[in-house]
Amino acid sequence: MSSIKVEDLTVDYNENGRKFTSLKNVTFSVESGEFVSVIGSSGCGKSTLLSVLEGINFPTEGRVFIDGKPISGTGKDRGAVFQNYSLFPWMTARKNVAFGIKQVKKDISRGERYEIADEFLDKVGLSEFKNKYPSRLSGGMQQRVAIARALAMDTDILLMDEPFGALDAKNRAVLQELLMELWEGDGSRERKTVVFVTHDIDESILLSDKIVMLSAHPGHVIKEISVPFKRPRNRTDIVGTKEYSKFRSELMSLFYGDIADRIGSEVIL
Amino acid sequence: MAKRFLRVTNLLFLILLAVQFLPDITESCSSYVIGFAVIAEIVVLIVSAFSKNKSDLFLDIMGALYALLIAWTLASAKFGWLRESLFPPPGRVFRQFIEDADKIFINIGSSLGIILRGYILAAVTAIPLGLLFGQNLRLGSAASYISKFLGSIPPIVYIPYGIALLPTFRSVSVFVIFLASFYPILASTMSGVLNIDEKLINSAKVLTVGKFTMLFSVMLPAALPQIFIGCNQGLSVSFILLTSAEMIGAQDGMGYYVKQYSDFGDYTRTIVGLLVIGIVVVIVSFLFNKLQTLLLRWK
Repeated sequence: MSSIKVEDLTVDYNENGRKFTSLKNVTFSVESGEFVSVIGSSGCGKSTLLSVLEGINFPTEGRVFIDGKPISGTGKDRGAVFQNYSLFPWMTARKNVAFGIKQVKKDISRGERYEIADEFLDKVGLSEFKNKYPSRLSGGMQQRVAIARALAMDTDILLMDEPFGALDAKNRAVLQELLMELWEGDGSRERKTVVFVTHDIDESILLSDKIVMLSAHPGHVIKEISVPFKRPRNRTDIVGTKEYSKFRSELMSLFYGDIADRIGSEVIL
Repeated sequence: MAKRFLRVTNLLFLILLAVQFLPDITESCSSYVIGFAVIAEIVVLIVSAFSKNKSDLFLDIMGALYALLIAWTLASAKFGWLRESLFPPPGRVFRQFIEDADKIFINIGSSLGIILRGYILAAVTAIPLGLLFGQNLRLGSAASYISKFLGSIPPIVYIPYGIALLPTFRSVSVFVIFLASFYPILASTMSGVLNIDEKLINSAKVLTVGKFTMLFSVMLPAALPQIFIGCNQGLSVSFILLTSAEMIGAQDGMGYYVKQYSDFGDYTRTIVGLLVIGIVVVIVSFLFNKLQTLLLRWK
């Protein structure tokens, strides 16, 4: 499987002639099979970070290694799910998934591609909707298709950029559980390495093994925190516990403490 | 049930029939109008019996057609308000159409053949070029200015030069249609590509698609709604140009048919030609719209 190492990563943007530093000396690592959330307020460069991992954006300084090798662009070892616009609107759900599979596995037949696509659409509960175009699907369904595609491509690494950010609370909860279930699997296969960007603290606690907290302007790592809850996790079992509230308030104080520091005020909210 | 047959359209049909039996002051060929009206009314009855929702618009259109035929019959054959040589009664136009049917179909075939060749040639060259130019900002801006200039020359003025360059008038027509369709299709393809959402391109990049797949499986469909705008424009300009070109120097085609017979003062055939061109354009646009709806069904 695949481990990721982000080393001293700095990304500058050029906006109307003005230099703008999005990420500054970001360093952290993700072990093979680990689920890591990157969390931070808006403007902390977490999406920039993910776009560098995806290979569609490039470091100004520093490097990103996968299994010890520096990356230089997109790769068949990485699949991605974006907040929206992941799917091609002119392809049906089934075709979208099959198209993804085709790009990473050139040697399998068309029939097999569609078989795999059907299998994964079934896993995300969309068998009935497989011949629908994305415009006919709800936001939640579209994200299910995007997840099905990323999983069906069977890449070692999964990069997710606020995949549930545009969904309502109920749909978000349902999809969080679905993702967790699919990622944890039945133990017969190695787990995928996941980098999951979010601004939702509860989401990050529920899903991840480790949380990397970023601060904004420019984005840098405040702290890496391991999530102490055992797997398989169940939302209702965890959320009510004392440990959960304690852990959550620790994260919150880190999160808001950072904001308070930056705006020079002690009282927040 | 009775209400459905008591419509204005059906009433107008009966008036149209009745009008045909008024005394003629000139040869009116009423039997052709009656024949046409009966066939049209059968279609109307079938449509209103089987299609409950969409039949209203169709009935209104047919009603308007009947009203026009009534007025035309009265003004020409029955009262002689219009000059006979310029405004032949409708019956004679129908008769002429049937007599000339084979000639007309050959001319339609010739016209459509030219349009199809020129237009398809334009589409298969302009779309790939637009996809290429649209990706590169510098190349794209240069190309858009050049094509704006070239596209602003009315293609019809190329005809004299085309006649000098090319061996037959047919090839000149194809060339002019090609020019007329090429620039709108190129321009709309380029703007279509320039306006593709970057997130869509990034999504494709992350899937590691190859160059060819990116161009034809991602950019082409993403730009397709825009491309169709240019294709529509090209098609309507093509018809205008072709018929104009045919009136200048062709030996066949619908424009030629109209021009030739109006030169001889045969205005019955001229009217037949005008109506046939109208019908052909309507049918072609209808088919083209169907194609567009099919290809953009995902919208």
